Amino acid sequence: MADLFDRFAPLMAQRDALLGDGGINPFQVKMDELLSPTEAMIAGRRTILAGTNNYLGLTFSPEALKAAHEALEASGTGTTGSRVLNGTYSSHKDLEAALADFFQKDHAMVFSTGFLANLGILSTLMGPEDYILMDADSHASIYDGVRGSQAQVIRFRHNDAADLEKRLARLEGKPGNKLIVIEGIYSMLGDKAPIAEIVAVKKKFTNVYLLSDEAHSLGVLGRYGRGLPEEAGVEDDVDFIVGTFSKSVGTVGGFCVSNHPHFDVLRLVCRAYVFTASLPPSVVVSATANLKLIKQGGALRARLMRNAEQLHQGLTDLGLKLGSEVSSVIAVVAPDPQTAIAFWRGLIEAGVYVNLALPPATPFGYSLLRCSLCAAHTEAQIDQIIGTFADVALRLGLIAPPAAKRSAAG
Amino acid sequence: MSAPAEIVARLIPILGPFNKTNAPLSAATRFTEDLNFDSLIVMEFVAAVEDAFDISVPLNILPDVATVGELAVAIEKILTESTSR
Repeated sequence: MADLFDRFAPLMAQRDALLGDGGINPFQVKMDELLSPTEAMIAGRRTILAGTNNYLGLTFSPEALKAAHEALEASGTGTTGSRVLNGTYSSHKDLEAALADFFQKDHAMVFSTGFLANLGILSTLMGPEDYILMDADSHASIYDGVRGSQAQVIRFRHNDAADLEKRLARLEGKPGNKLIVIEGIYSMLGDKAPIAEIVAVKKKFTNVYLLSDEAHSLGVLGRYGRGLPEEAGVEDDVDFIVGTFSKSVGTVGGFCVSNHPHFDVLRLVCRAYVFTASLPPSVVVSATANLKLIKQGGALRARLMRNAEQLHQGLTDLGLKLGSEVSSVIAVVAPDPQTAIAFWRGLIEAGVYVNLALPPATPFGYSLLRCSLCAAHTEAQIDQIIGTFADVALRLGLIAPPAAKRSAAG
Repeated sequence: MSAPAEIVARLIPILGPFNKTNAPLSAATRFTEDLNFDSLIVMEFVAAVEDAFDISVPLNILPDVATVGELAVAIEKILTESTSR
């Protein structure tokens, strides 16, 4: 009889072929000790962290630490209950008020993770007569969310407003509402959605709503850190913003904000909100504390962007292929998965941690060494990251030695 | 339901560039088993089909489409719905 796990046999064979040689497994990295938001001990080595999505470095902010300590002592380690039963403390309501105020929206709803926020909202919002038009490069939580929806799900080409318009035009005259789903910054390559163009397309049709997942752009973009809609000046045209506390906010949890007058009814119908335990109060107050720092965080954002420019320039100068323009996410494109794994191991053995991302989790089937910047990175740390990339790329024959390059340039 | 021959005939040239296994192409060709399609190739192929027929193929129907013939049936249904709105 077939074993239960036989259907994973091709995947297991692929895994063993790529990773089964006894080297460090990129998907099982263990952080033995956190030294700061940008450094940890990994395999006995002091390692620069350049793949944590901790964009503003707030995981050790004194404000959040103090609030979390106090909440832990006062309210315990967990709520042991759903938001709709015993799991709503005053701190949860305070965080929702802070979020609504931060985004200048009427309503805010806190979920236990960003993944659950997408799952809950996207599976619930649209009914059987409705249509969801999603960017093809959307995050797994968006794919899983729309899969749970009763609506018809249509994909448009990544960041292609013209393709979206074509698809909306095909639906003209059909009853039902339409929801466009985009992300402010796409996690793998760090590219932004052309949100102004998408809003312009949205306005050409009726009964069309826009949801933007600001997971990677909250705290990063916009004067006050409200993400891509703020930066692009289209906040009033974005009907729903989903996001997470697990990146720039430096803790864990998810949310959705909206001006829709009946938004609150979702608290009764989002299964991912109702049927899971709420966040521990220490986490909730950390998010509230860091949200305040994000709002005043212009200097942190400027520092983050300077770091991104330094890394992007340094890696470009080396002759490496990068996935996008300057962004808080900078992905180096490796020629194939084997090379990417060797590259990743070379980096980690020299004390630099980045994310390894392999197809099918990546756009264009790319094999990526994905870096995310942090406002707390120092110029010296970025130099060290660039130097390490140079050493490993040279060793792997991906770039020419500097001397040869000079003579080739004449 | 029998596959509409005209749609199958239009699908086969679109499928050509994606046929990395050089499998014989007909209504009976299976995307996963015969053509080794993974999720990325499915995405690109569906986009090419959508352009050629000027339709949107909802993601919801993809799990039920295993062969070229089944895709042709699904396309015929989408075309009928879009003209009878």
